[in-house]
Amino acid sequence: MSEVEFGKIKRSETIKLPYMLDFYPLEDVKNTRISQFFKNLKEGHLTTTKCRKCTKLLWPPRIVCPNCLSNELEWVDLGTEGELYAFTEMKLGAPLGFVEDVPFCIGIVKISDLLTSTRIDNAKYNELRIGDKLRLKVVELEDGRVFYRFKKVESKE
Amino acid sequence: MRKVAIVGGGATKCGKREASWRDLVQEAGKAMFERLGNLSPKDVDSLIVGAAQPERFVFQAHVAPMVAECLGVTPRKVLARAELMCASGQAAIRYAWACVASGLSDVAVAFGVEKMYMPDMAEAQTNMTCVLDREWDGVNGLSAPPFFAMTAQRHMHEYGTTKEQMALVSVKNHHYSTMNPLAQFQKEVTAEDVLKSVMIAPPLQLLDCSGITDGAAGVVLVPAEDAKKYTDTPMYIVGSGQASIGNAIGNLSSLTEWVPLKMAVQEALKTAHITLDDIDIAELHDCFTISEIMEYEAFGWCDKGKGGRFIEEGQPYIGGRVAVNPRGGLLGCGHPLGATAILQALDILQQFRGEVLKGRHVEGAETAVAHNLSGPANVHSIMVYSR
Repeated sequence: MSEVEFGKIKRSETIKLPYMLDFYPLEDVKNTRISQFFKNLKEGHLTTTKCRKCTKLLWPPRIVCPNCLSNELEWVDLGTEGELYAFTEMKLGAPLGFVEDVPFCIGIVKISDLLTSTRIDNAKYNELRIGDKLRLKVVELEDGRVFYRFKKVESKE
Repeated sequence: MRKVAIVGGGATKCGKREASWRDLVQEAGKAMFERLGNLSPKDVDSLIVGAAQPERFVFQAHVAPMVAECLGVTPRKVLARAELMCASGQAAIRYAWACVASGLSDVAVAFGVEKMYMPDMAEAQTNMTCVLDREWDGVNGLSAPPFFAMTAQRHMHEYGTTKEQMALVSVKNHHYSTMNPLAQFQKEVTAEDVLKSVMIAPPLQLLDCSGITDGAAGVVLVPAEDAKKYTDTPMYIVGSGQASIGNAIGNLSSLTEWVPLKMAVQEALKTAHITLDDIDIAELHDCFTISEIMEYEAFGWCDKGKGGRFIEEGQPYIGGRVAVNPRGGLLGCGHPLGATAILQALDILQQFRGEVLKGRHVEGAETAVAHNLSGPANVHSIMVYSR
């Protein structure tokens, strides 16, 4: 035993949330061919791609139409108002990066005949109802990336 | 296509285990080979490993050769990993079945393993959140509990299903799991317990949800004509069905219609040449209480929207319309992703052999289905087994 050396090592790096644990997508032109979506979003427009050939509306945005394989796609505006189709509130079991947000509301919004999931900001679970009118909200991350959320349209508006 | 038999298998106890990923593999491998006296690890020519997220849960890739190493098998036909998230184990069975049915393989092991307990549970939840379309759905904090919570909300909204009815699914499956020594949860729960349990994502409470689970299991598949070399009581794969509609939430036209499940059911019944009435045991994917209710409906054991009434009437108990999850289900047994479908297959084999405790034995059972869903219920996979 006396010949065996025992020593402590220290790993002093401070690890930032690595890219592969960041839920938000990379959105610049160097990393994705749908960066236009995020450019549009920065200007307050929620958009997606529509196939010019078969006219199918595609969500999420694509670079090739899965319906007819055409790559002739165009950007179309989905509008800023949707209807709440379903919702819940995350009370326990949130992933890393969301833990401090708990509790937060998640919903599925119907917009331009598409169903998509979304965070619902500034909402309390007990105050939401299926069928509520929702309006687009654009959020910006610390590093300038953007993403969409929705918030409830108050009846007095 | 050759007819294929499952001749035996083994598994670990499931739960929050004081064991590493590879400990689980070794435990299940030993249990499997010890129960198959006439089979040596060297006879195995193919190994398919169902493993959903070893890269995230234990930071290990290239896991099929690791399992081969732990089991002492040296595959020379097919060695591969199968990933279909919550249905990864069934994906392994399907590959192994195809290998043997095609004539490529003569002895194939379908193995499944998942180590899900991590020191930081938020990290485990992170892993589960990238199962959905990470950039468009996961990014919203959406994972299985909130997705199935919204499914339950819509089912309650459209059909009047109640939380009390959902709780009864948990009561039933926990009741059967008390008689399953491999199960993670060994205690009876009452409807009141379910309704008083901590809220996860309304309307789903803790006991509406299956657990985070460590576990492993393996089964051995051979051509039917060779089955009697290994056992007097094999079970046969007699049919299957699988259907999917992408991964993103946007593919769903409704939360309360599981179109791919209906398609998979039709395919499974057709390929097995059976009707619903021939099914004695149904191991259904009860990841959440609402899932099982929607599965009664999609299989056709009750009308659409009447799944809550079906459990209220006791129809999915042994002796009712069909015995659903007499193993204890995912709610009672836990849900070690890659191992779940292997555990279902193994339990059905033990049901056919009469090796399970009397209180959960479906006497005289001839035909069983095992179902798994994966992702936001947009992939459904079914195997049909017969003795």
